[in-house]
Amino acid sequence: MKQVVVHPERCVGCMQCMLACATAHSRSLMLFAAVQETPQPKARIHVGAGCFNEGFPNRCRHCDPAPCQMACLAGAIYRSDSTGTVMINPDRCINCASCAMACPYGVIRFHEDPLGPAGHAIAVKCDNCSARVAKGQIPACVEICKAGALTYEEMDTAMRRKNRAVARSMSTDADPPVMPAGVALLKSIKQSELQLSGS
Amino acid sequence: MKHVIIGNGIAGVTASEAIRMLNGTADITMIGDEIFPPYSRPMISHVLDGSQPHDKLPIRSEHFYDDLKITPLLGQRARGIDVDNRQVELADGTRVDFDRLLIAAGADPRPTQAEGLDLKNIFYLRTQDHVKQQTTALAGARRAVVLGGGLVGFKAAYGLLKRGLSVTMLITSGYPLSMQVDATAGRMILNELVCHGLKVEVGVSVRAFEGNGTVRVAVTDTGTRLPCEIVIIGKGVLPARDFIPKDKIDADLGVLVDDHLQTSVPGIYAAGDVAESVDIARDCRWVNALWPEAAGQGRVAGLNMAGRPVAYPGSLSRNVMRVFGLDVLTVGNADPIEDAGYRVVRSSGADRHFYRRLVLKEDRLVGAVMINGIEQGGVLRALIENRTPIRLPPETLIAPGFNFGQLLY
Ligand SMILES: Cc1cc2nc3c(=O)[nH]c(=O)nc-3n(C[C@H](O)[C@H](O)[C@H](O)COP(=O)(O)OP(=O)(O)OC[C@H]3O[C@@H](n4cnc5c(N)ncnc54)[C@H](O)[C@@H]3O)c2cc1C
Ligand code: SF4
Ligand code: SF4
Repeated sequence: MKQVVVHPERCVGCMQCMLACATAHSRSLMLFAAVQETPQPKARIHVGAGCFNEGFPNRCRHCDPAPCQMACLAGAIYRSDSTGTVMINPDRCINCASCAMACPYGVIRFHEDPLGPAGHAIAVKCDNCSARVAKGQIPACVEICKAGALTYEEMDTAMRRKNRAVARSMSTDADPPVMPAGVALLKSIKQSELQLSGS
Repeated sequence: MKHVIIGNGIAGVTASEAIRMLNGTADITMIGDEIFPPYSRPMISHVLDGSQPHDKLPIRSEHFYDDLKITPLLGQRARGIDVDNRQVELADGTRVDFDRLLIAAGADPRPTQAEGLDLKNIFYLRTQDHVKQQTTALAGARRAVVLGGGLVGFKAAYGLLKRGLSVTMLITSGYPLSMQVDATAGRMILNELVCHGLKVEVGVSVRAFEGNGTVRVAVTDTGTRLPCEIVIIGKGVLPARDFIPKDKIDADLGVLVDDHLQTSVPGIYAAGDVAESVDIARDCRWVNALWPEAAGQGRVAGLNMAGRPVAYPGSLSRNVMRVFGLDVLTVGNADPIEDAGYRVVRSSGADRHFYRRLVLKEDRLVGAVMINGIEQGGVLRALIENRTPIRLPPETLIAPGFNFGQLLY
């Protein structure tokens, strides 16, 4: 089963994934139409600023067992048997925010959603782009991310790649980690800015 | 192996599911007072305030017992536990054998003393049946009196206000939810409720209720007469442990459990509102009578009963409340006696709609209160629960842009 894997060290903080996510969870599924919709579709992945102002893409980990599911007062949170994705049933959610208290990563938001009941705020979070995946597409955030901070792959493959990278970096003739040129540039600009500002 | 569970609330339900997950054939019997399918107890306050219909309360299918091959013994209370013969005694005299027993009897509303309590339309708020009667009594009611400003008293008052009633709340502290929040947050909550029409009487209690069959007036101990057509008593809860032989099973306020949720008797476990575990933030024994704790404890107890040893890390006070325009989140030891080794960090400035308060002990976070912008509350909860040493300046944790990524350095 392929999963979205996050590589925060590669994130440049461009927030393209947020736009793509909001669009993928709109009614029209098109960026320019989506911004005109009411209620406004909102992103379910959240790029925050880390301690050094670097980007940090934060999304639901679909934990197992899921603390949010255990805490849900209305039995609205469930795990899809076929994909393992933790889902919120918009018609059962009572917007109590008990799940906000439970989620250790702070990835749940509360608002009216184009895909939920009209006129009611509900809990909203990443659904692994279930609707897109069912159509044979990959999750929208991964598709748009040009920095390689979000990939869609088998967890095993991702682990193996990470292991190899660590092993390489420990050998004497270590290559610098592979990163697109633009990304490396942006990162080093940010880091030097920070050094200049003396933090 | 015969598993018996007393109580079919969320703790009993998650325990039975955990046992069944590990063992497809073990005997499971559930003894429960309420015959309604497993339902969300907190949600009854949403039925009271009119935002949810009564028929949305069930959180498991009506075939729950069949699906999990559970023998349900519903509609009566367990009357006693014969620890030596390993039997549960029911009200009708039936005796049920067990090898492993879970006490998940929950809690009952703390009773109140006053004359005229048998008048109609005076309620507790604990069961789906209570709320059903209350919604019926709402027709024709204009004025309500709520006793108590704790979690249930607050929810009752909020629900009745949302129904458009004129509500008077009688509380002992200067602000509601004084066990959950500090004075600043408490006054913000009070203001918000008062802005929406709540009347509050501090430091008074009800001496008597009067009426002709149905309640019409609540008379306070200071002699004030409060006209009302509906009364809800929300003065807290007490663990339902009357039937437990205290000479055999150690109990204090609740039934004492160890770090595997086992009581002082091997093979007998307790979980949920009836259990007294260790509070992680306070570092002492405590009953945290809360839904997520009950659900989590039930699961851990069930796993242990089915033979998989799983440790329980302890419980935590935690609450989220929506109060009209305020979202309130409070977790851990939010209002300890200051200077006893605690450090408090607050958001600066007086804002009617935003507030942050962190309580630290040495390098650990032990409590937090947030008003509005509560999305990152779970991150703070996890820091408290995991006893994570805080390396960031605490001010970062209450700054608007705080997110999980900042903890990774
Ligand atoms: C109005 C209201 C609002 C709430 N809001 C929140 C909230 O927002 N957040 C939160 O975390 N928590 C909330 N709670 C608390 C939460 O509902 C409880 O913590 C939770 O339901 C406890 O589950 P339990 O399984 O331990 O006990 P219970 O739900 O009390 O279940 C125990 C069951 O056992 C039965 N029983 C008792 N004694 C016996 C016996 N001797 N024999 C047989 N059966 C017996 C009882 O009838 C009951 O059905 C709220 C509670 C109320 C009443
Ligand atoms: S919302 Fe949070 S707690 Fe729930 S599965 Fe996702 S990451 Fe885990
Ligand atoms: S807000 Fe919705 S999903 Fe979250 S705990 Fe409440 S009912 Fe469940």
